[in-house]
Amino acid sequence: MAYTKPIPDPDPVHRPYWEGAREGKLMLPRCTTCNRVHWYPRLLCPFCHSREIEWIEASGEGRIHTFAVQHRAFGGWADEVPFVTAYIDLHEGDRMFTVLRGVDPTKPETIRIGAKVRVEFERANDEVSIPFWRVVEE
Amino acid sequence: MPGALSRAAAIIGAAEADEIGYPATPKTALQLHIEAIKNVSEQTGIPISRIDGVFSAGWSSQLAEHLGLRPKYIDTTSVGGCSFEMHVHHALAAIHAGIIDVALISHGENGWSARATGGRGTGRPRGAPDPWDPGQQFQAVYGVAGAPSNYAHAMTRHNYRFGSTPEDFAHIAVVTRQWAMLNPRAIMFSKETNPGGGPITVEDVQNSRVVAWPLTLLHCCLVTDYGGAVLVARPEIARSVKTKPVWIAGAGESMGHQNMLEMEDFTATSAAASAAAAYRMAGMGPEDMEMAMIYDSFTVTAGITAEMLGLAPRGEGFMLWKDGRAAPGGKFPINTNGGGLSFNHSGMYGMQLLVEAYRQLSRTAEDGVTGLPGKQVDARSCIVNGTGGSLSTTGTLILVAD
Ligand SMILES: [Zn+2]
Repeated sequence: MAYTKPIPDPDPVHRPYWEGAREGKLMLPRCTTCNRVHWYPRLLCPFCHSREIEWIEASGEGRIHTFAVQHRAFGGWADEVPFVTAYIDLHEGDRMFTVLRGVDPTKPETIRIGAKVRVEFERANDEVSIPFWRVVEE
Repeated sequence: MPGALSRAAAIIGAAEADEIGYPATPKTALQLHIEAIKNVSEQTGIPISRIDGVFSAGWSSQLAEHLGLRPKYIDTTSVGGCSFEMHVHHALAAIHAGIIDVALISHGENGWSARATGGRGTGRPRGAPDPWDPGQQFQAVYGVAGAPSNYAHAMTRHNYRFGSTPEDFAHIAVVTRQWAMLNPRAIMFSKETNPGGGPITVEDVQNSRVVAWPLTLLHCCLVTDYGGAVLVARPEIARSVKTKPVWIAGAGESMGHQNMLEMEDFTATSAAASAAAAYRMAGMGPEDMEMAMIYDSFTVTAGITAEMLGLAPRGEGFMLWKDGRAAPGGKFPINTNGGGLSFNHSGMYGMQLLVEAYRQLSRTAEDGVTGLPGKQVDARSCIVNGTGGSLSTTGTLILVAD
Protein backbone atom coordinates (compact mmCIF):
# COMPACT_ATOMS: atom_id res chain seq x y z
CA MET A 1 0.00 0.00 0.00
CA ALA A 2 1.31 3.45 -0.90
CA TYR A 3 2.67 5.59 1.91
CA THR A 4 0.26 8.56 2.11
CA LYS A 5 1.88 10.59 4.90
CA PRO A 6 4.59 13.28 4.56
CA ILE A 7 7.88 11.98 3.17
CA PRO A 8 10.99 13.96 4.11
CA ASP A 9 13.15 15.67 1.52
CA PRO A 10 16.62 15.19 3.10
CA ASP A 11 18.99 18.15 3.01
CA PRO A 12 22.80 17.70 2.85
CA VAL A 13 23.34 18.00 6.63
CA HIS A 14 20.65 15.42 7.42
CA ARG A 15 21.30 13.02 4.54
CA PRO A 16 23.42 10.42 6.43
CA TYR A 17 20.50 9.89 8.78
CA TRP A 18 18.04 9.20 5.97
CA GLU A 19 20.56 7.07 4.05
CA GLY A 20 21.00 4.97 7.18
CA ALA A 21 17.25 4.69 7.66
CA ARG A 22 16.88 3.34 4.12
CA GLU A 23 19.23 0.51 5.12
CA GLY A 24 17.47 -0.11 8.43
CA LYS A 25 20.11 1.62 10.56
CA LEU A 26 19.61 4.44 13.05
CA MET A 27 22.49 6.83 12.41
CA LEU A 28 23.24 9.63 14.87
CA PRO A 29 25.70 12.54 14.78
CA ARG A 30 28.43 12.48 17.43
CA CYS A 31 31.02 15.14 18.12
CA THR A 32 34.51 13.64 18.24
CA THR A 33 35.79 16.54 20.36
CA CYS A 34 33.42 16.13 23.33
CA ASN A 35 32.10 12.66 22.34
CA ARG A 36 28.48 13.66 22.88
CA VAL A 37 25.64 12.60 20.57
CA HIS A 38 23.21 15.36 19.55
CA TRP A 39 19.84 15.42 17.84
CA TYR A 40 18.84 17.04 15.46
CA PRO A 41 21.96 17.16 13.19
CA ARG A 42 24.05 20.34 13.40
CA LEU A 43 26.80 22.10 11.48
CA LEU A 44 28.55 22.70 14.81
CA CYS A 45 28.31 20.55 17.95
CA PRO A 46 25.66 22.32 20.11
CA PHE A 47 27.59 21.41 23.27
CA CYS A 48 31.21 22.43 22.49
CA HIS A 49 30.87 24.09 19.04
CA SER A 50 33.41 21.81 17.39
CA ARG A 51 33.11 21.12 13.66
CA GLU A 52 34.35 17.56 14.14
CA ILE A 53 31.17 15.53 13.81
CA GLU A 54 30.94 11.88 12.78
CA TRP A 55 27.97 9.62 12.19
CA ILE A 56 27.62 6.48 14.31
CA GLU A 57 25.20 3.58 14.11
CA ALA A 58 23.07 3.76 17.26
CA SER A 59 21.68 0.87 19.31
CA GLY A 60 18.14 1.78 18.25
CA GLU A 61 17.03 1.69 21.89
CA GLY A 62 15.52 4.39 24.03
CA ARG A 63 12.83 5.25 26.57
CA ILE A 64 9.63 7.33 26.44
CA HIS A 65 10.26 10.83 27.81
CA THR A 66 6.71 12.09 27.32
CA PHE A 67 3.80 11.50 24.95
CA ALA A 68 0.44 12.76 23.71
CA VAL A 69 -2.46 11.27 21.75
CA GLN A 70 -3.26 13.17 18.58
CA HIS A 71 -6.99 13.32 17.82
CA ARG A 72 -6.63 15.91 15.07
CA ALA A 73 -4.21 15.76 12.14
CA PHE A 74 -3.91 16.78 8.53
CA GLY A 75 -3.15 15.01 5.24
CA GLY A 76 -2.35 11.31 5.41
CA TRP A 77 -2.14 11.40 9.20
CA ALA A 78 -5.80 12.45 9.46
CA ASP A 79 -6.74 8.87 8.49
CA GLU A 80 -4.75 7.48 11.43
CA VAL A 81 -6.23 9.44 14.34
CA PRO A 82 -6.04 8.80 17.20
CA PHE A 83 -2.31 8.05 17.24
CA VAL A 84 0.37 8.47 19.89
CA THR A 85 3.28 10.86 19.44
CA ALA A 86 6.26 10.72 21.80
CA TYR A 87 9.63 12.18 22.59
CA ILE A 88 12.21 9.41 23.00
CA ASP A 89 15.28 9.66 25.22
CA LEU A 90 17.89 7.90 23.07
CA HIS A 91 20.20 5.36 24.70
CA GLU A 92 23.15 7.31 23.23
CA GLY A 93 21.84 10.63 24.57
CA ASP A 94 19.57 13.51 23.45
CA ARG A 95 16.00 13.15 22.28
CA MET A 96 13.98 12.32 19.15
CA PHE A 97 10.32 12.74 18.15
CA THR A 98 8.24 9.90 16.75
CA VAL A 99 4.90 8.20 16.37
CA LEU A 100 4.81 5.40 18.90
CA ARG A 101 3.84 1.85 17.98
CA GLY A 102 2.76 -1.05 20.16
CA VAL A 103 0.45 1.13 22.27
CA ASP A 104 -3.33 1.61 22.47
CA PRO A 105 -4.19 5.26 21.72
CA THR A 106 -7.65 4.79 23.22
CA LYS A 107 -6.07 3.86 26.59
CA PRO A 108 -3.39 6.53 27.24
CA GLU A 109 -3.40 5.61 30.94
CA THR A 110 -1.73 2.31 29.98
CA ILE A 111 1.24 4.06 28.31
CA ARG A 112 4.17 4.46 30.67
CA ILE A 113 6.76 7.26 30.65
CA GLY A 114 10.15 5.53 30.92
CA ALA A 115 8.99 2.45 28.98
CA LYS A 116 11.63 0.86 26.76
CA VAL A 117 11.26 1.39 23.01
CA ARG A 118 13.08 0.13 19.93
CA VAL A 119 13.33 1.70 16.51
CA GLU A 120 11.88 0.14 13.37
CA PHE A 121 11.65 1.45 9.82
CA GLU A 122 8.76 1.78 7.40
CA ARG A 123 9.47 2.05 3.69
CA ALA A 124 7.84 5.22 2.28
CA ASN A 125 9.27 4.96 -1.28
CA ASP A 126 12.42 3.64 -3.03
CA GLU A 127 14.54 6.45 -1.56
CA VAL A 128 13.16 6.98 1.92
CA SER A 129 12.33 4.81 4.93
CA ILE A 130 10.97 6.44 8.06
CA PRO A 131 11.95 5.47 11.62
CA PHE A 132 9.19 4.69 14.13
CA TRP A 133 9.60 3.53 17.71
CA ARG A 134 7.81 0.57 19.28
CA VAL A 135 7.29 -0.22 22.96
CA VAL A 136 9.12 -3.49 23.77
CA GLU A 137 9.59 -5.81 26.76
CA GLU A 138 12.24 -4.76 29.31
CA MET B 1 18.15 48.47 43.99
CA PRO B 2 16.43 48.96 40.62
CA GLY B 3 18.51 48.82 37.43
CA ALA B 4 19.28 51.85 35.24
CA LEU B 5 16.47 51.07 32.79
CA SER B 6 13.79 50.75 35.46
CA ARG B 7 11.06 53.38 34.84
CA ALA B 8 13.11 54.95 32.02
CA ALA B 9 9.86 54.87 30.02
CA ALA B 10 6.15 54.33 30.50
CA ILE B 11 3.27 52.86 28.57
CA ILE B 12 1.10 55.91 27.95
CA GLY B 13 -1.81 54.34 26.13
CA ALA B 14 -3.18 51.01 24.94
CA ALA B 15 -5.99 50.62 22.44
CA GLU B 16 -7.74 47.93 20.44
CA ALA B 17 -9.04 47.79 16.90
CA ASP B 18 -12.65 48.94 16.39
CA GLU B 19 -13.86 45.36 16.22
CA ILE B 20 -12.14 42.29 17.67
CA GLY B 21 -13.12 38.66 18.15
CA TYR B 22 -15.31 37.18 15.39
CA PRO B 23 -16.11 40.07 13.01
CA ALA B 24 -19.14 39.50 10.78
CA THR B 25 -17.23 40.81 7.76
CA PRO B 26 -13.69 39.40 7.40
CA LYS B 27 -10.89 41.81 8.26
CA THR B 28 -7.26 41.91 7.19
CA ALA B 29 -4.41 41.99 9.67
CA LEU B 30 -3.40 45.42 8.35
CA GLN B 31 -6.88 46.83 9.07
CA LEU B 32 -6.65 45.57 12.65
CA HIS B 33 -3.21 47.19 13.05
CA ILE B 34 -4.23 50.55 11.63
CA GLU B 35 -7.51 50.84 13.58
CA ALA B 36 -5.64 50.18 16.84
CA ILE B 37 -2.89 52.67 15.97
CA LYS B 38 -5.42 55.38 15.14
CA ASN B 39 -7.28 54.64 18.39
CA VAL B 40 -4.17 54.81 20.59
CA SER B 41 -3.18 58.09 18.95
CA GLU B 42 -6.61 59.57 19.74
CA GLN B 43 -6.62 58.10 23.24
CA THR B 44 -3.28 59.69 24.18
CA GLY B 45 -3.44 62.79 21.99
CA ILE B 46 -0.04 61.87 20.56
CA PRO B 47 -0.16 62.49 16.79
CA ILE B 48 0.94 59.51 14.69
CA SER B 49 3.60 61.79 13.14
CA ARG B 50 5.30 62.01 16.53
CA ILE B 51 6.08 58.25 16.59
CA ASP B 52 9.80 57.78 15.95
CA GLY B 53 10.19 54.07 16.74
CA VAL B 54 8.09 51.28 15.18
CA PHE B 55 7.88 47.83 16.76
CA SER B 56 5.79 44.91 15.53
CA ALA B 57 6.01 41.18 14.83
CA GLY B 58 7.09 41.28 11.21
CA TRP B 59 5.10 44.34 10.05
CA SER B 60 7.29 47.32 10.97
CA SER B 61 8.42 48.55 7.56
CA GLN B 62 4.97 48.00 6.07
CA LEU B 63 3.28 49.88 8.94
CA ALA B 64 5.76 52.78 8.80
CA GLU B 65 5.19 53.09 5.07
CA HIS B 66 1.42 52.96 5.45
CA LEU B 67 1.58 55.71 8.07
CA GLY B 68 4.10 57.80 6.14
CA LEU B 69 6.65 57.58 8.96
CA ARG B 70 10.45 57.69 8.68
CA PRO B 71 11.30 56.03 12.01
CA LYS B 72 14.68 56.25 13.74
CA TYR B 73 14.31 52.80 15.21
CA ILE B 74 12.74 49.82 13.42
CA ASP B 75 12.29 46.49 15.22
CA THR B 76 10.21 43.69 13.79
CA THR B 77 11.12 40.89 16.21
CA SER B 78 8.71 38.03 15.52
CA VAL B 79 9.34 35.10 17.81
CA GLY B 80 5.77 34.17 18.66
CA GLY B 81 3.26 35.51 21.14
CA CYS B 82 5.85 36.99 23.51
CA SER B 83 7.20 39.31 20.78
CA PHE B 84 5.22 42.27 22.14
CA GLU B 85 6.64 42.00 25.66
CA MET B 86 10.08 41.91 24.02
CA HIS B 87 9.18 44.99 21.96
CA VAL B 88 8.46 46.88 25.20
CA HIS B 89 11.84 45.75 26.53
CA HIS B 90 13.58 46.91 23.33
CA ALA B 91 11.66 50.22 23.27
CA LEU B 92 12.64 50.86 26.88
CA ALA B 93 16.31 50.40 25.97
CA ALA B 94 16.04 52.55 22.82
CA ILE B 95 14.35 55.37 24.76
CA HIS B 96 16.87 55.11 27.61
CA ALA B 97 19.69 55.27 25.06
CA GLY B 98 18.25 58.52 23.71
CA ILE B 99 17.55 57.18 20.23
CA ILE B 100 13.77 57.72 20.26
CA ASP B 101 11.05 59.46 22.29
CA VAL B 102 7.83 57.67 21.34
CA ALA B 103 7.65 54.00 20.42
CA LEU B 104 4.65 52.42 18.72
CA ILE B 105 4.13 48.71 19.40
CA SER B 106 1.45 47.29 17.14
CA HIS B 107 -0.31 43.99 16.55
CA GLY B 108 -2.87 42.99 13.94
CA GLU B 109 -3.84 39.38 13.31
CA ASN B 110 -6.94 38.00 11.63
CA GLY B 111 -6.87 34.47 13.03
CA TRP B 112 -10.65 34.25 12.66
CA SER B 113 -11.17 36.13 9.40
CA ALA B 114 -8.41 34.16 7.66
CA ARG B 115 -10.70 31.13 7.82
CA ALA B 116 -13.20 33.00 5.67
CA THR B 117 -10.62 34.48 3.29
CA GLY B 118 -8.65 31.29 2.63
CA GLY B 119 -5.64 32.71 4.43
CA ARG B 120 -5.61 36.02 2.56
CA GLY B 121 -4.91 39.25 4.40
CA THR B 122 -2.75 37.62 7.05
CA GLY B 123 0.47 39.24 5.86
CA ARG B 124 2.19 35.86 6.10
CA PRO B 125 3.89 34.23 3.14
CA ARG B 126 1.70 31.52 1.66
CA GLY B 127 2.82 28.17 0.33
CA ALA B 128 4.58 25.14 1.75
CA PRO B 129 7.18 25.41 4.52
CA ASP B 130 10.84 24.79 3.66
CA PRO B 131 11.21 20.98 3.49
CA TRP B 132 14.83 21.25 4.67
CA ASP B 133 13.83 22.82 7.97
CA PRO B 134 14.63 20.40 10.82
CA GLY B 135 11.06 20.71 12.11
CA GLN B 136 9.75 19.57 8.72
CA GLN B 137 12.13 16.60 8.50
CA PHE B 138 11.96 15.37 12.08
CA GLN B 139 8.54 16.44 13.39
CA ALA B 140 6.08 17.21 10.58
CA VAL B 141 6.81 13.74 9.18
CA TYR B 142 5.06 12.40 12.29
CA GLY B 143 1.79 14.25 11.87
CA VAL B 144 2.04 17.06 14.41
CA ALA B 145 -0.66 19.59 13.58
CA GLY B 146 -0.11 22.93 15.22
CA ALA B 147 0.28 24.11 18.78
CA PRO B 148 -2.03 21.75 20.73
CA SER B 149 -0.29 18.66 19.36
CA ASN B 150 3.00 19.96 20.78
CA TYR B 151 1.84 21.45 24.08
CA ALA B 152 0.04 18.24 25.07
CA HIS B 153 3.44 16.60 25.65
CA ALA B 154 4.23 19.17 28.37
CA MET B 155 1.02 18.40 30.29
CA THR B 156 1.77 14.65 30.24
CA ARG B 157 5.25 15.25 31.63
CA HIS B 158 4.01 17.65 34.34
CA ASN B 159 1.43 15.08 35.42
CA TYR B 160 4.12 12.38 35.54
CA ARG B 161 6.72 14.41 37.39
CA PHE B 162 4.56 16.21 39.95
CA GLY B 163 1.52 13.95 40.26
CA SER B 164 -0.73 16.71 38.91
CA THR B 165 -3.77 15.83 36.80
CA PRO B 166 -5.54 17.31 33.77
CA GLU B 167 -8.43 18.10 36.17
CA ASP B 168 -6.03 20.29 38.18
CA PHE B 169 -5.26 22.29 35.06
CA ALA B 170 -8.96 22.40 34.09
CA HIS B 171 -9.50 24.79 37.02
CA ILE B 172 -7.46 27.35 35.07
CA ALA B 173 -10.04 27.24 32.25
CA VAL B 174 -12.95 27.45 34.72
CA VAL B 175 -11.60 30.48 36.60
CA THR B 176 -10.49 32.26 33.43
CA ARG B 177 -14.04 31.86 32.11
CA GLN B 178 -15.32 33.60 35.28
CA TRP B 179 -13.22 36.63 34.32
CA ALA B 180 -14.52 36.51 30.74
CA MET B 181 -18.07 36.68 32.11
CA LEU B 182 -17.14 40.12 33.54
CA ASN B 183 -15.79 41.37 30.21
CA PRO B 184 -18.42 42.11 27.54
CA ARG B 185 -15.64 42.20 24.90
CA ALA B 186 -14.89 38.53 25.56
CA ILE B 187 -16.01 35.91 23.05
CA MET B 188 -17.19 33.67 25.90
CA PHE B 189 -18.89 36.47 27.91
CA SER B 190 -22.29 34.75 27.88
CA LYS B 191 -24.50 32.22 26.11
CA GLU B 192 -25.93 35.17 24.19
CA THR B 193 -22.55 36.27 22.78
CA ASN B 194 -21.53 32.69 21.96
CA PRO B 195 -23.33 29.33 22.30
CA GLY B 196 -20.26 28.04 24.16
CA GLY B 197 -20.11 31.08 26.47
CA GLY B 198 -21.13 31.51 30.10
CA PRO B 199 -20.06 29.46 33.11
CA ILE B 200 -18.19 26.15 32.78
CA THR B 201 -17.20 23.44 35.26
CA VAL B 202 -14.17 21.17 35.54
CA GLU B 203 -16.40 18.38 34.19
CA ASP B 204 -17.32 20.51 31.16
CA VAL B 205 -13.61 21.06 30.46
CA GLN B 206 -12.75 17.39 30.81
CA ASN B 207 -15.76 16.22 28.80
CA SER B 208 -15.14 18.58 25.87
CA ARG B 209 -13.77 17.07 22.65
CA VAL B 210 -10.22 15.68 22.86
CA VAL B 211 -7.85 17.68 20.64
CA ALA B 212 -4.50 16.21 21.70
CA TRP B 213 -4.77 14.10 24.84
CA PRO B 214 -4.51 15.19 27.63
CA LEU B 215 -5.70 18.52 26.16
CA THR B 216 -9.43 18.77 25.49
CA LEU B 217 -10.93 21.69 23.56
CA LEU B 218 -11.55 23.80 26.67
CA HIS B 219 -7.89 23.46 27.71
CA CYS B 220 -7.07 25.31 24.44
CA CYS B 221 -7.29 28.99 23.51
CA LEU B 222 -9.68 30.60 21.05
CA VAL B 223 -8.80 31.60 17.48
CA THR B 224 -10.00 35.18 16.89
CA ASP B 225 -9.16 38.49 15.27
CA TYR B 226 -7.30 41.13 17.25
CA GLY B 227 -5.71 44.49 16.71
CA GLY B 228 -3.91 46.26 19.52
CA ALA B 229 -1.42 49.08 19.86
CA VAL B 230 0.46 50.65 22.75
CA LEU B 231 2.64 53.73 22.93
CA VAL B 232 5.77 53.77 25.08
CA ALA B 233 7.34 57.17 25.81
CA ARG B 234 10.05 58.81 27.87
CA PRO B 235 8.99 60.18 31.31
CA GLU B 236 8.71 63.86 30.26
CA ILE B 237 6.22 62.93 27.55
CA ALA B 238 4.44 60.43 29.79
CA ARG B 239 3.78 63.26 32.29
CA SER B 240 2.38 65.60 29.63
CA VAL B 241 -0.30 63.47 27.92
CA LYS B 242 -3.98 63.20 28.86
CA THR B 243 -3.74 59.47 29.68
CA LYS B 244 -2.15 57.97 32.81
CA PRO B 245 1.33 56.50 32.57
CA VAL B 246 1.96 52.89 33.57
CA TRP B 247 5.62 52.56 34.43
CA ILE B 248 7.91 49.86 33.06
CA ALA B 249 9.70 48.88 36.26
CA GLY B 250 11.32 45.75 34.90
CA ALA B 251 11.76 43.86 31.64
CA GLY B 252 13.50 40.68 30.58
CA GLU B 253 13.49 38.14 27.80
CA SER B 254 14.94 34.71 27.10
CA MET B 255 14.41 31.48 25.21
CA GLY B 256 14.84 27.79 25.87
CA HIS B 257 14.60 26.49 22.30
CA GLN B 258 12.82 27.09 19.04
CA ASN B 259 11.78 23.54 18.18
CA MET B 260 10.28 21.39 20.92
CA LEU B 261 12.88 18.75 19.98
CA GLU B 262 15.30 20.92 21.96
CA MET B 263 13.10 21.44 25.04
CA GLU B 264 15.21 20.12 27.89
CA ASP B 265 12.64 20.07 30.71
CA PHE B 266 9.04 19.78 29.51
CA THR B 267 7.79 21.23 32.80
CA ALA B 268 9.84 24.46 32.67
CA THR B 269 10.26 27.46 30.37
CA SER B 270 12.70 30.33 29.97
CA ALA B 271 10.21 32.50 31.88
CA ALA B 272 12.31 31.69 34.96
CA ALA B 273 15.21 33.54 33.29
CA SER B 274 13.19 36.38 31.74
CA ALA B 275 11.35 36.94 35.04
CA ALA B 276 14.62 36.93 37.01
CA ALA B 277 15.94 39.68 34.72
CA ALA B 278 12.72 41.69 35.05
CA TYR B 279 12.58 41.35 38.86
CA ARG B 280 16.26 42.37 39.08
CA MET B 281 15.71 45.48 36.95
CA ALA B 282 12.63 46.42 38.99
CA GLY B 283 14.26 45.75 42.35
CA MET B 284 11.09 43.80 43.14
CA GLY B 285 10.12 40.16 43.67
CA PRO B 286 7.10 37.90 43.25
CA GLU B 287 5.85 38.98 46.70
CA ASP B 288 5.52 42.56 45.41
CA MET B 289 3.16 41.59 42.58
CA GLU B 290 -0.57 42.28 43.05
CA MET B 291 -1.87 40.70 39.85
CA ALA B 292 -0.56 38.82 36.82
CA MET B 293 -1.25 38.62 33.11
CA ILE B 294 0.02 35.20 32.03
CA TYR B 295 -0.07 33.85 28.48
CA ASP B 296 -2.67 31.09 28.41
CA SER B 297 -2.51 29.57 24.97
CA PHE B 298 -3.34 26.38 26.90
CA THR B 299 -4.08 25.76 30.56
CA VAL B 300 -0.71 24.06 30.85
CA THR B 301 1.08 27.19 29.55
CA ALA B 302 -0.40 29.32 32.33
CA GLY B 303 0.14 26.72 35.06
CA ILE B 304 3.81 26.14 34.25
CA THR B 305 4.47 29.86 33.76
CA ALA B 306 3.04 30.74 37.20
CA GLU B 307 5.70 28.41 38.64
CA MET B 308 8.44 30.00 36.53
CA LEU B 309 7.47 33.51 37.69
CA GLY B 310 7.88 32.44 41.32
CA LEU B 311 4.17 32.92 42.03
CA ALA B 312 3.72 29.29 43.13
CA PRO B 313 5.97 26.39 44.19
CA ARG B 314 7.22 23.99 41.48
CA GLY B 315 4.55 21.58 40.41
CA GLU B 316 1.74 23.64 41.98
CA GLY B 317 1.13 26.55 39.62
CA PHE B 318 -2.44 25.40 38.97
CA MET B 319 -3.22 25.82 42.71
CA LEU B 320 -3.49 29.61 42.23
CA TRP B 321 -6.64 28.95 40.19
CA LYS B 322 -7.84 25.81 41.98
CA ASP B 323 -7.99 27.50 45.40
CA GLY B 324 -9.60 30.65 43.99
CA ARG B 325 -6.75 33.14 44.54
CA ALA B 326 -6.67 33.95 40.80
CA ALA B 327 -10.47 34.22 40.50
CA PRO B 328 -12.67 37.34 40.60
CA GLY B 329 -12.72 38.44 44.24
CA GLY B 330 -9.55 36.45 44.98
CA LYS B 331 -6.37 37.80 46.55
CA PHE B 332 -4.27 37.54 43.37
CA PRO B 333 -6.19 38.22 40.15
CA ILE B 334 -4.79 36.52 37.04
CA ASN B 335 -5.90 37.12 33.45
CA THR B 336 -8.62 39.62 34.29
CA ASN B 337 -9.70 40.02 30.66
CA GLY B 338 -10.77 36.38 30.39
CA GLY B 339 -7.50 35.22 28.85
CA GLY B 340 -6.63 33.61 25.57
CA LEU B 341 -8.87 30.80 26.76
CA SER B 342 -12.11 32.83 26.88
CA PHE B 343 -11.51 36.48 25.84
CA ASN B 344 -9.53 36.59 22.60
CA HIS B 345 -6.50 34.86 21.07
CA SER B 346 -5.52 35.81 17.54
CA GLY B 347 -2.53 33.44 17.26
CA MET B 348 -0.07 35.71 19.05
CA TYR B 349 -1.63 36.87 22.32
CA GLY B 350 1.10 39.06 23.85
CA MET B 351 -0.57 42.35 22.84
CA GLN B 352 -3.82 41.39 24.57
CA LEU B 353 -1.77 40.91 27.77
CA LEU B 354 -0.26 44.39 27.43
CA VAL B 355 -3.55 46.15 26.71
CA GLU B 356 -5.25 44.55 29.71
CA ALA B 357 -2.31 45.29 32.04
CA TYR B 358 -2.41 48.95 30.94
CA ARG B 359 -6.19 49.15 31.46
CA GLN B 360 -5.92 47.70 34.96
CA LEU B 361 -2.98 49.78 36.20
CA SER B 362 -4.26 53.02 34.64
CA ARG B 363 -7.64 52.36 36.30
CA THR B 364 -9.46 52.42 32.97
CA ALA B 365 -10.58 48.80 32.86
CA GLU B 366 -14.22 49.76 33.54
CA ASP B 367 -14.63 52.04 30.54
CA GLY B 368 -11.33 51.32 28.88
CA VAL B 369 -10.22 52.49 25.51
CA THR B 370 -12.77 53.60 22.93
CA GLY B 371 -15.38 53.24 25.67
CA LEU B 372 -15.22 49.45 25.85
CA PRO B 373 -15.99 48.02 29.29
CA GLY B 374 -14.26 45.39 31.43
CA LYS B 375 -13.72 44.56 35.09
CA GLN B 376 -11.44 46.79 37.17
CA VAL B 377 -9.41 45.15 39.96
CA ASP B 378 -7.54 46.80 42.78
CA ALA B 379 -3.87 46.22 41.89
CA ARG B 380 -0.93 48.59 41.57
CA SER B 381 1.63 46.15 40.18
CA CYS B 382 1.34 43.49 37.51
CA ILE B 383 3.72 40.88 36.15
CA VAL B 384 3.10 40.24 32.45
CA ASN B 385 4.55 37.17 30.78
CA GLY B 386 4.32 36.25 27.12
CA THR B 387 5.22 32.79 25.80
CA GLY B 388 5.97 32.13 22.14
CA GLY B 389 6.43 29.13 19.88
CA SER B 390 6.24 25.72 21.56
CA LEU B 391 6.92 26.92 25.13
CA SER B 392 10.01 28.33 23.40
CA THR B 393 10.52 32.06 23.93
CA THR B 394 9.47 34.34 26.79
CA GLY B 395 9.23 38.04 27.56
CA THR B 396 8.46 39.32 31.05
CA LEU B 397 7.46 42.84 32.16
CA ILE B 398 6.89 44.28 35.58
CA LEU B 399 4.46 47.18 35.28
CA VAL B 400 3.46 49.53 38.08
CA ALA B 401 0.75 52.17 38.45
CA ASP B 402 1.69 55.86 38.59
ZN1 LIG C 1 31.15 18.64 21.05
